[in-house]
Amino acid sequence: MIWLKCKNWIEERYDIAELKKLAKSKLVPQHHYDFLYYTGGITLFLFILQFITGMLLAFYYIPHVDFAYESIIDIVTKINMGWFFRGVHHWGAQLCIVFVFIHLFGTLLVKSYRKPREFLWVTGFILLVISIFFGLSGYLMLWDERAFAAVRVATGGAGNLPVIGSFIKIFLRGGTDVTGDTLTRFYAFHVAILPVLSLLLIGLHVLLVQYHGMSVPVSVEKKQKEGEPFFPNVFYKDMMIWLIVLGIVVTLAIFLPPEIGNKADALAPPPEGIKPEWYFLFMLETLKLFPGTIYGFNGETIAIVCVTIGIIFFFLIPFIDRKSNKGQKSHLFTIIAVIYVIYFITMTLVGFLS
Amino acid sequence: MKYFIKILFAVFTIFAFNSLAFAEEKIPVFPTTPVEVYTIYTSLAVFWLAIIGLIVVIKMKLKEIERIQKLGIDKEDANAPLLD
Repeated sequence: MIWLKCKNWIEERYDIAELKKLAKSKLVPQHHYDFLYYTGGITLFLFILQFITGMLLAFYYIPHVDFAYESIIDIVTKINMGWFFRGVHHWGAQLCIVFVFIHLFGTLLVKSYRKPREFLWVTGFILLVISIFFGLSGYLMLWDERAFAAVRVATGGAGNLPVIGSFIKIFLRGGTDVTGDTLTRFYAFHVAILPVLSLLLIGLHVLLVQYHGMSVPVSVEKKQKEGEPFFPNVFYKDMMIWLIVLGIVVTLAIFLPPEIGNKADALAPPPEGIKPEWYFLFMLETLKLFPGTIYGFNGETIAIVCVTIGIIFFFLIPFIDRKSNKGQKSHLFTIIAVIYVIYFITMTLVGFLS
Repeated sequence: MKYFIKILFAVFTIFAFNSLAFAEEKIPVFPTTPVEVYTIYTSLAVFWLAIIGLIVVIKMKLKEIERIQKLGIDKEDANAPLLD
């Protein structure tokens, strides 16, 4: 009865029927590659999960150089279910970045970026960068020796960029080295700046998807079946996949709880066999391919410039691929996309196994 | 759906091995008492059962919706007489 009253109260004020009609009229194309549509939904779900678990952890985390590490140990050992929510937050972050990559590479391979969806690609790409920075800033929150060394290497690497490198390094670190100021700065990024930016961009991204509709790959445009209603058909399928993803995150949090190393010490040597987070491994391995000096120039700087050019080219693909924009098959960019995917996976695996 | 299960399984396997390689038992990041461990594993099993149950329910509901859509009786008839 109360439910009916509430429903009537809302319906008197807002045109819910029109919204329902709109949701039902929205069709999702059905074809051979339609499974890629679900990767965006999974990423969105994982983002929401990260927001919820992050808020819970923020109740107990102390963003101060003297207490950060101890507060995490307290969360894990003393707070009721603290270990669980930290595990879910950790694994949720890992899977979120995995699915952002899958979503992005999927979009690249089926050329969903083509006209008129270039801006969708731009917002998605920025969201990937934000996700990675979320990961890096969150990693430092732990303030253990591995996180400390990883952030020192990552921010140091950014410092090797010509012209703007040293500005980026000092801006990120809040000084010349990784200190308590870096922790405060990364905390501000992690809990305030990045969430606001990502919320805005996710909103814009979803809005653009609604505006343009789902993209259909050129190769299956003629073969596609009749579209499936988003609500309830695709929405229910999304829910089933989200439940499986939630189950996997929870299982990982229980069976593989993220470890905590020794407290960070700026004067101590970095621990042996240190590796950055998996999504930076391809960059690290690329740096290793270059010698120390090339014709008198710093090899690391040249490597970082090459990686940056590769990333900028990747970002600009929708504006360069003219054939796809005309609705024609573009074999060259399919090959380029495959090269990007293979390079990323191979270098990540090499970095992991070496 | 098949593709998804494959992707999810691959991701799960990669991460499972990834983390095992770096496992260093230093700070207890998981409850250590047998009672707590037993409770956690039991809860996880119940959690998965609930997930499977929900998926079955959603799947059944979806099949019913698809059946109705196939029959074409889900659309409103504009000429249907109004009853007071």
